[in-house]
Amino acid sequence: MEQDKYKIIGKPEKRVDVLGKVTGKAKFADDYNVKHQLYGKVLRAKYPHARILKIDTSKAKNLPGVEAVLTADDIPGSKVFGIVVQNQSILAFDKVRYLGDGLAIVAAKTKEIAEEALELIEVEYEVLPVVTDPEEAIMPDAPKIHGDNNIFVHHKVRKGDIEKGFQEADYIIERKFKTQFIEHSYLEPEAILAEPAEHGGVRIIGSVQNLFSSRRSVAAALNLPLNKVQIIQSTLGGSFGGKDEVMTAMCCRAALLAIKTGKPVKMVNTREESMLESYKRHPYTMYYKWGIKSDGSITAMEIKIYADGGAYASMSPYVTWRSVVQATGPYYCENVKTDVITVYTNNNYTGAMRGFGSPQVNFAIESMIDIIAEKVGKDPLEIRLQNGFEKGAITATGQKLEHNVSLKEVLLKAAKEIDFQNKWREYKSQSDAPIKRGIGIACSYRGVSLGAEGTDAAGTIVSVQTDGSVIVSSGITDMGQGAQTQMCQIAAEVLGITMDRIVFLNTNTSRVPDSGPTVASRGTIMGGYAAKRAAETVRSTLMSVASEMTGYDVEVLDLKDNYLIDKDSGERLASFSELAAQCFKKGRPMFGFGWYKSPPTSWHEENGYGNAYFTFVYGTNIAEVEVDTETGKVNVINFVSAHDLGRAINKQTVLGQFYGGVAMGLGYGLLEEFEIEDGIPKQLNFDEYLLPTAKDIPNIKAIIVENEDAAGPFGAKSIGEPTNEIAAPAIINAIYNATGKRIYELPANLERVLLGHKLTRKGERGSVQKEKEELIIESCKIK
Amino acid sequence: MKPFEYKFSDKLDEILHILSQSGTDAKILAGGTDLLIELRRKPKVYPGVIVDISFVNELKGIFEDNNHITIKPLSTHTKIFKSDIIRKKAYLLSEATSQIGSLQIRNRGTVGGNIMNAAACADTVPPLIALNAEITLRSQNSVRSFKLNDFFIKPYKTKANPDEVLTEIKINCLPKDAKSTFIKLGRRNALSISRLSVAAVLQQDEDGKIIDARIVPGAAFPTWQRVVEAEQMLIGEKPGIELFRAAGAKVSEVMISYTGRRWSTEYKEPVIAALVRRALERCSI
Ligand SMILES: Cc1cc2nc3c(=O)[nH]c(=O)nc-3n(C[C@H](O)[C@H](O)[C@H](O)COP(=O)(O)OP(=O)(O)OC[C@H]3O[C@@H](n4cnc5c(N)ncnc54)[C@H](O)[C@@H]3O)c2cc1C
Repeated sequence: MEQDKYKIIGKPEKRVDVLGKVTGKAKFADDYNVKHQLYGKVLRAKYPHARILKIDTSKAKNLPGVEAVLTADDIPGSKVFGIVVQNQSILAFDKVRYLGDGLAIVAAKTKEIAEEALELIEVEYEVLPVVTDPEEAIMPDAPKIHGDNNIFVHHKVRKGDIEKGFQEADYIIERKFKTQFIEHSYLEPEAILAEPAEHGGVRIIGSVQNLFSSRRSVAAALNLPLNKVQIIQSTLGGSFGGKDEVMTAMCCRAALLAIKTGKPVKMVNTREESMLESYKRHPYTMYYKWGIKSDGSITAMEIKIYADGGAYASMSPYVTWRSVVQATGPYYCENVKTDVITVYTNNNYTGAMRGFGSPQVNFAIESMIDIIAEKVGKDPLEIRLQNGFEKGAITATGQKLEHNVSLKEVLLKAAKEIDFQNKWREYKSQSDAPIKRGIGIACSYRGVSLGAEGTDAAGTIVSVQTDGSVIVSSGITDMGQGAQTQMCQIAAEVLGITMDRIVFLNTNTSRVPDSGPTVASRGTIMGGYAAKRAAETVRSTLMSVASEMTGYDVEVLDLKDNYLIDKDSGERLASFSELAAQCFKKGRPMFGFGWYKSPPTSWHEENGYGNAYFTFVYGTNIAEVEVDTETGKVNVINFVSAHDLGRAINKQTVLGQFYGGVAMGLGYGLLEEFEIEDGIPKQLNFDEYLLPTAKDIPNIKAIIVENEDAAGPFGAKSIGEPTNEIAAPAIINAIYNATGKRIYELPANLERVLLGHKLTRKGERGSVQKEKEELIIESCKIK
Repeated sequence: MKPFEYKFSDKLDEILHILSQSGTDAKILAGGTDLLIELRRKPKVYPGVIVDISFVNELKGIFEDNNHITIKPLSTHTKIFKSDIIRKKAYLLSEATSQIGSLQIRNRGTVGGNIMNAAACADTVPPLIALNAEITLRSQNSVRSFKLNDFFIKPYKTKANPDEVLTEIKINCLPKDAKSTFIKLGRRNALSISRLSVAAVLQQDEDGKIIDARIVPGAAFPTWQRVVEAEQMLIGEKPGIELFRAAGAKVSEVMISYTGRRWSTEYKEPVIAALVRRALERCSI
């Protein structure tokens, strides 16, 4: 079998971090404590939008046990940070822009004293009008959050001639879709320990996802060079894209307190503080207008999206760029006009979250494609096979897909697994009963890694020790997704050793190269490729020493199962440990550094086209549901998830991504909603913010499709986000199949499924506020 | 959480004594699944003394005598749900307790705490009222009894005094030929508070005519009660879908007469009717 090409790759190797995690020895951020540490706490805003007139900290400073009370005035360097737009305040100084903004920080001997001190800080505000709806925020007279324009990003895609496209159409279909704020819900809330370092700098350990961007901001805030700010990642209890800016703010604040007091400072958010302050997934309002022929082909797509960026820019420019690139889905269309407009509001700011701008648009696209299927009398699979990309297709951004485009393969494999078409037909005409069944499908294509968003390169170090044990470290970080294991497996494969020889070092900004953020499902492809190169460097040194040692040509030697072998006879010539010792003795380096820079991409922002990503992945989800038509309760009873990920480096880890991705997508589709009313969040803990439980998750059939891609190590591409981005639309389409009623706004909770809209308690008790009318326009040009 | 004094005893008398000393400053701790969450939220009136009753053996156990079942307040949801007596003679309470929270919550949370906390979504209360429960409260100097449906003033407010301990819950066994059920509607399949619920009991005579009907909705009314108007429609009739539908509609109507039309009525009106119909259907098969 082809699988046997590799010893370690593709095998369900134990995770390198498993022992610590199952024995409770793994150290998460809150487990780090040192003597004499102080506890830091943050005073947060009282209003979602207000000018700060005065902050009086004198009473708080006088409280016994308090060692420092600081405001933005105490920041020696840059008071703001931001990856794209530098406007997020470490501590608010001019205005507060959402309820999670911090105004002052306290360090005290105990948490309780710190909390008490917060209550003694007096702030005078001038309350400002609040704007929380993106479409209201773009009005000329709307309150402004930063500067004089709330629009801060406008991405476009332009292809062909949209007018001509609509003229050619037999039908024009218009719909409006809306998505909600959702919380990352990492199990471990934000936590760090910051210590002043000997050289006048600072050393931070904690639950940070993107260490290098956080480090840049700490250095800028403290006027320190980067080499004096060291950030070490503790074992992370989840992130899902969520431990970036919110951790940067925490790092800056704790570092500031540590430097001012000369003592270590511990900062830990409660769940409520975490939910109040942390950023969320962007809510989108999406207007989709498609022109179609009566055979189901698509002649035009006009798409306008308003994204709620909340109070700060954060990753919005990148998130919404992925949306603009992928907004048409994997479907042929000659004429495309897409606009994604991102605006500031007084809501929680929105940023990176697993999916990164795709779950929203996929909900709209995959609903639309089902709508047009019905219009032309086709079934959901047929319409996707008819319009779906194949190799050589030109995308909406004008990119020609040169890799193996496996969209139809994943569609067909998933459909076959669950007998999709027959079930769909049967459920469509089921007889009237309170509980109805439905089945729905959704597919996607997704650009791998960062694409033209930014520089895309990463480094990994493979260091063989004199006894033949190995240490791997990388600028790519592990949040629990298994990146370390993937990189170690790659190194083990190249070096011909077993996994028990390898230890992975948690990422430390002072010891590994800046490899960009671990986002965009780029861990395996970027960090893994770098690991491969690093291991190859060491291997070539080892092999030349082996050749000197044995007198054999390098060509006839190989490394296998911890031994140096004769390739032809399989005879073991020396152990890997002996070889390593020899190498050391001869003074040859056993330290390998690998760097991988992605293949080129391009983007023309003005004209909206380009080769957005160097390669893509393809996936299909199918959900089978039971809908209680008298209560609106939806149970997902079966699920198929099929993804082409290039190659599974570790099947077990990959399956974890499949299952977790579906579970998270199910929450997005049916349950989760972080509601913010007039700038005030309504759910701050998991009693009210409802995540799916194990009992809500169906049986999930995972189909791993492997079409190796030249761009990735051993052909591997991405899997983390693809698994999360199409579960919700599959479920929504299944609900439609069951009930004949389409859900246009997520989540499909009890009220929406039963009544078609959500209920909100607003204003007067007893008054009922309905959501704005749905937009459903259809015109037919056929006589 | 703020500091508080922690007192405990394994004797009810001592507990009652402690409570009589501490007055309104004390709070009783049973399983703690409501109280600890409340304390973490730092309520305005923060108790100075927590009195742990969980070691008091005389407040534990489920006993049957004659036609009655006595449930002691420290019975956990798991204990109730696993009790043969309850399953055979008060089936709907078994069903209700099996659906509370999660395994961990069911193992810790007690029926006494569920009643005394008096949340609108308390899942043991509708079945207990349908079982005509009577409760006994004791303080150092008094013993008081209430019919459970007379005990609640509004959500989170009962007629109990701070120095009183709920010591006993007494229910009537259901007749052998009666059928009962509890339907809970939550947003998810575990760890879910009741959006709405219905407890129902039906008894038919040999001809199939309904001779006893009890309907108690949960999370629907300002306080729990049997919906007599709907129950009476059923008495003397034979089970049927139209009859049950009408009874369901009646329950909605009565609900609205109490609550008025509120933001959630649009949803609750049809759904409570459907749940009542379903509950009655289940009790007549
Ligand atoms: C995650 C979670 C899920 C939950 N799910 C559900 C659910 O599905 N359905 C549901 O109904 N409830 C649910 N609950 C609420 C709670 O578990 C129940 O109400 C439980 O029965 C409370 O019992 P306890 O013994 O833990 O009460 P405690 O927290 O110990 O006490 C609750 C209140 O009652 C008072 N009290 C307790 N015992 C006595 C007594 N004998 N005499 C006088 N006063 C007393 C206490 O002073 C306190 O005010 C849930 C709670 C959690 C945390």
